[in-house]
Amino acid sequence: MAKISENPLLSPELLAQLERLELVTRKVFRGRMKGERRSKRKGQSVEFADFRNYVPGDDLRLLDWNLYARLEKLIIKLFLEEEDLHFYALIDSSMSMDFGSPTKLEYAKQLAAALGFVGLIRADRVRIETLAQGPAERSPILRGRHSMWRMLQHVEAIQPGESISLAEGVKNFCLRNAGRGVVVFISDLMDKEGYETALKYFVSHQVDCFVIQVLSQEEQEPEVKGDLKLVDCEDQDVAEITASAPLLNRYQQTLNSFVKGAQDFCSRRGIHYLLANNQLPVEELVANHLRRRGLVR
Amino acid sequence: MGMIPPAIFALYFLKLKRQPLEVPSTYLWHRVIEDLHVNSLWQRLRKSLLLFLQLLLIGLVILALLRPGWRGQSLEGQRFIFLIDKSASMSATDTKTGVTRLEDAKSRVAALVDQLDSGMSAMVISFAEQPNVVQEFTNNRRLLHEALARIGPSAGQTDLTGALELADGFANPGRVTVDDAGGEFEVTEQQDVELYIFSDGRFRGVEGFSLGNLQPLFLPIGRFESQNLAITALNTRRGEERAEIQQAFVQVVNFSDASQTVVVELYLNERLLDAAELDVPAGNAGSTTFHLGNEVRGVLRAKLDIPKQFNDQLSLDNEAFAEVEDRRDSRVLLVTPGNTALESALSTERADRFAKVEKVAPGVLEKKEFLSQSQSDTYDLIIFDQCQPKTMPMANTVFVGRLPPVEEWAEGAETEPVFGPQIIDWQRSHPLLSLLELGNVQIIDALVVRPPLGGRVLIDSTKGPIFSIAPRGRYEDAILSFEIVGTDEQGRRTFNTDWPRKYSFPSFWLNVLGYFSGSHRDSHLHNQPEKPVELRVNSQAEELEVELPDGVRQIIRLETPGRLTFHGTEQLGVYTVWDAGVVAKRFAVNLFDREESDIRLQARQEGEDGVQVVESLSIGYVDVAAQSLSSPVRRELWKLLLAGALVVLVLEWYIYNRRVYI
Repeated sequence: MAKISENPLLSPELLAQLERLELVTRKVFRGRMKGERRSKRKGQSVEFADFRNYVPGDDLRLLDWNLYARLEKLIIKLFLEEEDLHFYALIDSSMSMDFGSPTKLEYAKQLAAALGFVGLIRADRVRIETLAQGPAERSPILRGRHSMWRMLQHVEAIQPGESISLAEGVKNFCLRNAGRGVVVFISDLMDKEGYETALKYFVSHQVDCFVIQVLSQEEQEPEVKGDLKLVDCEDQDVAEITASAPLLNRYQQTLNSFVKGAQDFCSRRGIHYLLANNQLPVEELVANHLRRRGLVR
Repeated sequence: MGMIPPAIFALYFLKLKRQPLEVPSTYLWHRVIEDLHVNSLWQRLRKSLLLFLQLLLIGLVILALLRPGWRGQSLEGQRFIFLIDKSASMSATDTKTGVTRLEDAKSRVAALVDQLDSGMSAMVISFAEQPNVVQEFTNNRRLLHEALARIGPSAGQTDLTGALELADGFANPGRVTVDDAGGEFEVTEQQDVELYIFSDGRFRGVEGFSLGNLQPLFLPIGRFESQNLAITALNTRRGEERAEIQQAFVQVVNFSDASQTVVVELYLNERLLDAAELDVPAGNAGSTTFHLGNEVRGVLRAKLDIPKQFNDQLSLDNEAFAEVEDRRDSRVLLVTPGNTALESALSTERADRFAKVEKVAPGVLEKKEFLSQSQSDTYDLIIFDQCQPKTMPMANTVFVGRLPPVEEWAEGAETEPVFGPQIIDWQRSHPLLSLLELGNVQIIDALVVRPPLGGRVLIDSTKGPIFSIAPRGRYEDAILSFEIVGTDEQGRRTFNTDWPRKYSFPSFWLNVLGYFSGSHRDSHLHNQPEKPVELRVNSQAEELEVELPDGVRQIIRLETPGRLTFHGTEQLGVYTVWDAGVVAKRFAVNLFDREESDIRLQARQEGEDGVQVVESLSIGYVDVAAQSLSSPVRRELWKLLLAGALVVLVLEWYIYNRRVYI
């Protein structure tokens, strides 16, 4: 049953803010349909690209008659083709994401919806998926502003509860989506088997990949006291600790090195990495941090 | 109770029930734990810190319940007065550490001062002959220590009364004030003051003193078995058989439990003159006499040569000093028409030792020779019996039955003689009347003469004063206003009084000779330390210089010319009075006090076993029992321990809540 979130995923203020943005990719991909984006292909648009000699079969409409009058040569004027962008949001919906206030999953959903909305209004091809989807389960492809409600419904329906390793989930994603484009992977990267394999799939898939690691405030600054038995919500693994200042210090160090490790790993492979805290409003994350990272502008 | 710590220990290991807490992932936590396990022993200790703290807490509480304590001196109260005896006997070195009793007392006070809490204040009074506030009430321990350091030994006797009065003044301040409407208010809060008396108790109790708020504690210093040999007298006098030979008399007292043989050495001007061996029985006195020979002058010093096996613990009284003066015979002139009683009173053997008495008839008064002699200090004393000179001579005078020819005396005199005056009072304290009984003397006729300003009535009768004395410059005039031998109506010589038949008559005239005949008077007195010395000096100078035994010189102003009053007699030895570079007089100050020289603590047998305890002090009606030398005050520790337990508890709470370890 779909959980009705107390807050709408996208508030009117956020929508108004997002209207001004567009998704950016450093790589130029081939789109499927005409869009608002320049493509590698030359085509029909108002933006001039080049001249070339006419060869039989070319569209006569493209001849530059002015040049013909001057040079008596048939020259075709080439224009840049504008195409759509493939935008994927991949949400980690494991149990571990169902923590924090708002939960990390809520946060991820909101972020994905916001970015998806940006894609929709710029006529990009938007697809929002979760890790748990099997190779055959595909999410709807959304296009155009009118698809916003469908997108929101789809995002709202995402529930926590699946347990699948990161690597498996990303592999399935790559199998499902052959097309290249921009992939935003929203996860906490907390996988006992490591996140490295999963991210390597993105690299090999040659997508423009953004990894947004969402951590809750409780994870970054745990407020634990006394003798505790910590139970992992995913695999019921137990860690016995006695909270103390040195222990917490050590935790901070470990967390920092974990985050730093992920950052290094990503930057070495051309993956954008961003650490997000669930207390940071999505508006700010999108408007400031992501803009600075070059995902939107 | 001993089972509690093991129980806690067991509980600690049994209890460890960790609270489950669900977390997103134990991924990071496992890595943290792995890191920490590297130094796991240390970790275990850290984990058990709370256990250790609990054990410590219980340990402290148990220890507090056991109520530990130790013996020690403690201060209970708010205000303290420390009375420190610094008299001669406190210079004895019979303490355990070998320092003087005074140093011992000072160190014990210092130990008490160190215990003063912030709310306590104390003052220090030292006392010997005179009390002295060394430090007024303060809670500044540094000041108190400095005050203690200032207290030096004295050679004086012990007088607790003055010190008590001083302490009383500070402890019981003016209690009541009266406002305009006549209501009385208590001005000061009545506060008990702890009075610590550090003394060897060598003094008589204090009578007629109310302690008020003072809470006395007597802390005796010294030992029962202390030994001391002391010179208690050194006199010079003329030989009984051969008056021209001078003798020195030395008395030695043995304050120990065994008889001692001691050698007394006598030095004249620091030259050994003679020595004598003396057997002194235990607790008794022995004496010896030295012949000084003729015409000796200078300073005599008697010194005890203490035998080696004898542990003499007070050295102050092992020496004594005396001044042998120029034996210029005092000249006394008796002017009388004939008075057998008086003449024989002035010609006794004793009287001869004081002065040479010359006798002349009243007719001589007119002669030129007498006039010149009387104006030139030839005589020390002129006695006018039934006659009077035209002018007052330059000498002390005694008038018998006549008035001096000066207006001051005539003003207070009644011209008509009174009949049968009965003596009702006489000044026993005056040297002229010391040791006299005059109540039985009958007098027929007498004049009533009141002394001029500055004079004193010495004998008072039912009709008025009949014997007075008054100063005249550097001389004194004494007027006995009744004749001893008079002339009756038929012109026969007859007795006017039956006084010559009494013992007091020759004694009186000996007193007269002793009092007036110049220098002899001083040498017979023995001066005691810290008591003022009064001297007659043959000098008109307004200032004299007194050289102390240690060579320091002090300039003393004379209030009355020829009369020196000197107060600075703290040291034992010979003092020299200088008048413009010439030795005018010498006097010696000696301890000569058996009470001070007997340095054994006064003991009292107590209980069936006859245990020796220190005699208590009696102050007023209160008997202040001596506190045992190490005052057995129990110092409780439980408050401290409970406070410590509380601190541990707070620490534990803090650590538990703040997760701070070490």
